[in-house]
This record gives sequence, C-alpha cells and structure tokens, in this order.
Amino acid sequence: MLAAGDTLALWVSVKLALITTVILLLLCTPLAWWLARRVRPGQALLEALLALPLVLPPTVLGFYLLLFLGPDGPGGWLGSLLERPGLAFSFAGLVIGSVVYSLPFVLQPLKNAFAAIDKDVLDMAAAAGAGPLDRFFSVVLPLARPGYLSAAVLGFAHTLGEFGVVLMIGGSIAGETRVASVALYEHVEAGDYASAQRLALVLVVLSLVLLWAVFRWQKKARGPL
Amino acid sequence: MSLSLDIVLRRGAFELSVQGTLPERGVTILFGESGAGKSSLLRAVAGLEPCQGRIEFDGERWQGRAGMLPAHRRPVGLMLQKPTLFPHLDVTGNLRYAARRAPGSAQRWEEVLELLSLTPLLSRRVRGLSGGEASRVALGRALLSAPRLLLLDEPLAALDQARRQALMEVIGRVAKTIPVLYVSHHLDEVLTLGEHLWWLRDGALAAQGEVNDVLAGPGSPLAAHRDAAVVLRTRHLRYEQDHHLLVLALGACEVRVPASGPGGDTPRLRVAARDVSLTLSPATDSSVLNILPAVVDDVRSLPQGQCLVRLRCEQQWLLARLSSYSRDRLGLAPGIRVHAQIKAAALV
Repeated sequence: MLAAGDTLALWVSVKLALITTVILLLLCTPLAWWLARRVRPGQALLEALLALPLVLPPTVLGFYLLLFLGPDGPGGWLGSLLERPGLAFSFAGLVIGSVVYSLPFVLQPLKNAFAAIDKDVLDMAAAAGAGPLDRFFSVVLPLARPGYLSAAVLGFAHTLGEFGVVLMIGGSIAGETRVASVALYEHVEAGDYASAQRLALVLVVLSLVLLWAVFRWQKKARGPL
Repeated sequence: MSLSLDIVLRRGAFELSVQGTLPERGVTILFGESGAGKSSLLRAVAGLEPCQGRIEFDGERWQGRAGMLPAHRRPVGLMLQKPTLFPHLDVTGNLRYAARRAPGSAQRWEEVLELLSLTPLLSRRVRGLSGGEASRVALGRALLSAPRLLLLDEPLAALDQARRQALMEVIGRVAKTIPVLYVSHHLDEVLTLGEHLWWLRDGALAAQGEVNDVLAGPGSPLAAHRDAAVVLRTRHLRYEQDHHLLVLALGACEVRVPASGPGGDTPRLRVAARDVSLTLSPATDSSVLNILPAVVDDVRSLPQGQCLVRLRCEQQWLLARLSSYSRDRLGLAPGIRVHAQIKAAALV
C-alpha cells in the first residue's frame, strides 16, 4: 500500500517525535517552572530567545544548526565521542535539531499550566509538611496534567510535521534521517503523486486522531465535576 | 513562652516590625485593621514569607542568622482566610494529605472527624463544598498535620453564626493544649476566644498581653468603639434553679447572670462599657442584679460628649461609658470610690 521505504520513513518520524517529546518534557519542566513562578531580570530576553523557533523560517534555524552540528562546531566534538565527523546528517543530530525547533510548543503550555496554579495551594501543602519535591509530585504535577498533555501532543505533532530543519541538517538517509515529510517531498519531486497521496493521507489521519483525542480529553477534564 | 519573635518584614514602602511572645497555650488574637499586616505576620511565622530577624519556638530556632527553617519543617497547622483546599483531591484526600505527612496523626483521625463533623463530607469533591463545609475541612486538615502551633487567618469568615459558635468552641478546645495565633478583626471573636491579644497597628505591635489589660489599657484599640467591653474571669459558685440564675464569684463579690443551666468551672463574663453605670453610694432599691464596688483608675474623654471610665474591680478591669455631664456631676477622677451597676453581662 505505501511505497517502499515509506513505512521506514514513517517509523523514523514517529521515533524522532517520541524521543524529542520525552526529552522536551524533561527539559522544559524545570525551565517552565523557573519561568512561571516569578519574573527575573533578563527573563524577557531569555523567553524571546526560546520563542524564536516560532517565528524564524526553519531554514534559518536549520542553517545555524548545521554549523553547530558540523565537524567544525561543538557537534564535531560530540560526534567524535560517537566516532563520526560531526552530528549533521545523523539521527542524533536530528533529535538535537528537533528539540530546539519544538521547544516553544512544549514550554508554553507547561508554563501556562504552572502559572495557573494558586500559590496559596502550594503554601498549604508546605504547611502540611510537604517539601519542595513532594509538593511538585503531589500538587503541581496533578494540577498541571492538562498542560502536560497539551505540551506532549503539540511537541509530538510539531516534530512529526518538521521539514525545513530536517532538510538542512538531516538530508535523506533511509532509516536514519529520512523522515515522512522528506519522503513525501521526494515523491513529489519524482512525480510519483500516487505514493505522495498515500503518505500524505497517513500523516493527515495520524495528526487528526492525535489532536481529536486531546481536544476530547480536555473537554472532559474541563466539564462539570 | 512557646513562640518568641523579633522580626522585620519589608514589602515596598510597608514595613512590619514585631517583637512578641506567645503564651504556652491558649488563643492569642492578632487584632488590627485590614492592611495592618496581620496576614503577613502569620505567614512569616509559618515560614511562607521571608523576613529578617529571629523566630524561636520551644527552644528551636526557626529563623536566625543561620537562615530559615523551611515551612514544611515547622510543626504548624495553618488555615488561611479562604479555605484553599487541594482542588485535585476529594475531602478524604485533603485530610490524608496532612495526616500522612505528620508523625502520630493517625490516632487523631477519628477525633478530628468527630470534632468537626467531617464524616458525612469524606467522599465529597472539594468543588461542591459550601463555604462553611470547606472551612471545616481546612481546619481539619490543619489539625491533622499534628501542629504544635496553630495559625488561623480569619477562619470563621465564611461561616454563619451557628457554625461560628461551633467552630469557636472547637478552636477553644484545641487551644487548651497548644498555642493558637488567631487573626481577626471581629470584636466578637476577641471577646469570646481571646485570652491574649496582640494588637497590630501601623506595622508594629501597639499592645500585647492579657485580653483585658489590652482592652482596658491606655490607647486601647476599642476605647472609642461603641462595643467597647471587657471580659471578666469568674469562678462557678452555684446555679439557682428557681431564678434561672448562675452565681459566680468575682474575687470576694458574687455576680448573678441569667443562664439556662450551670456552665463551666471558670466562666468568662463579657461586660460592655455601655452596660455599666456608676453611683457614688450603693443603691439598695435598684432592680440591677449586680452592683460592685470599684475604684476609678482613669477617665478618658470620647467624642460627642461621652467618656470612658476605667475601673479597678476585684483586681480586674471594668469599663464604663458615661456622658461627660455625668462625669462632672459625680466628680469622677482617679482614686474615687464608686459602685458599678452592671445592667447586662453575657457568658462567653
């Protein structure tokens, strides 16, 4: 049904999106907490910097990532640990690129969720004897659950739909950096519209199901209790 | 002396500077107008508001030069003005949250549930609770954290009169074993519950001490208040069934108050300044039940032709509110012996 190699490309896409989402959730939890609780000097600049991927053309981001991940950048040193010249055109490089690219989509919902938590509730938890970590797991996490779901789905979906950055830093190595969006592009380039149709449809359905599930869940969570 | 503090708390232009000590047990009312810094002081004691200075409790240093003991390590039970329950947990979850984290709280579970009639609420969701129910759960949660100091910020604000009375009783009972610092601006609560009073004004403690000493003292927060009153400590003598009168001992004097039955051993009697009138010789033909000999200690003028007379009566303070005209006619001045007619007194 799918063209040869497309299943593999879809698998690379899903694997990339999953790994990126997990890394981003772990990375953005302390970052969003730090940003949400109080205003610090220089915070606006930091937040602007973190939101840049929202507005920059992916090719600009991809270009800088290419320099960063290439043999002459820090990626060269990182790559040498894996015994390869730089991380550009590797799956690891794609993960790093995706993390940067999708960061605002995970950071923002988490930050909003944290900011919405009443400080008095946390104070009451402290007075009841809960230390900082205890408070985080017993109060913050349960209250921020809708935020985590939004963050995970947005991060996953956005990474799945990534194209420009992948093209710049990943190329199209089958099983390694050839993701679904790139495979689709190549089908169109080659004039193979039938394969392109099928792959595009799979992506549309996949994304739709994901978003539908989230909206449904959120409606339920917000409904009368 | 359980809690002793000497702290300075700055928020912008506002500065709170408080030196105070709390007695071993009993309710200490933290009284003052809104904006006086009552809540900030309470939060500083709980460790939720950073401040400078020294806080000690039972010989433990909670705050000092070495830094501050974080809120979760202080053995306090806290109840804020709004109940602030955990919205993701039901009533049982809220109570367990505190009980699980407090050593030895399991034995108190049944006791607290019964004290606050919480059993019917256990499976309820927090969002469906009425204001009064939420307050009870919040107080229950504070008690289940096995506190050695209870901090309450206007805990009765959301309650109707009947529930207020019931909760005040519960708090009074708790205060028999641990000190309670209780934020209020209700005279009613001061007179019913308070044994000690911290009066906060302009960011400092204007007065602190035994309730009557503060209420009757110079510059009392309530002198000009129309409900100015004192609370007399008495001893139970007997109940006169025929007249429905409770006979109490106030020093060497007997005091009679209408009551439906014998009360506790050491009833407190609330006497409003406006219910006390003075005569120079004892009236023998008066319908007033209680006429006590007293000595004028101080006479203070109030606006609108009124004055407040402070009397010493059986080693306790008594206030009388008179017109300036009467004061001049009787020639009231410090040292004068008078007879105080108490027209009404309420057991609290």
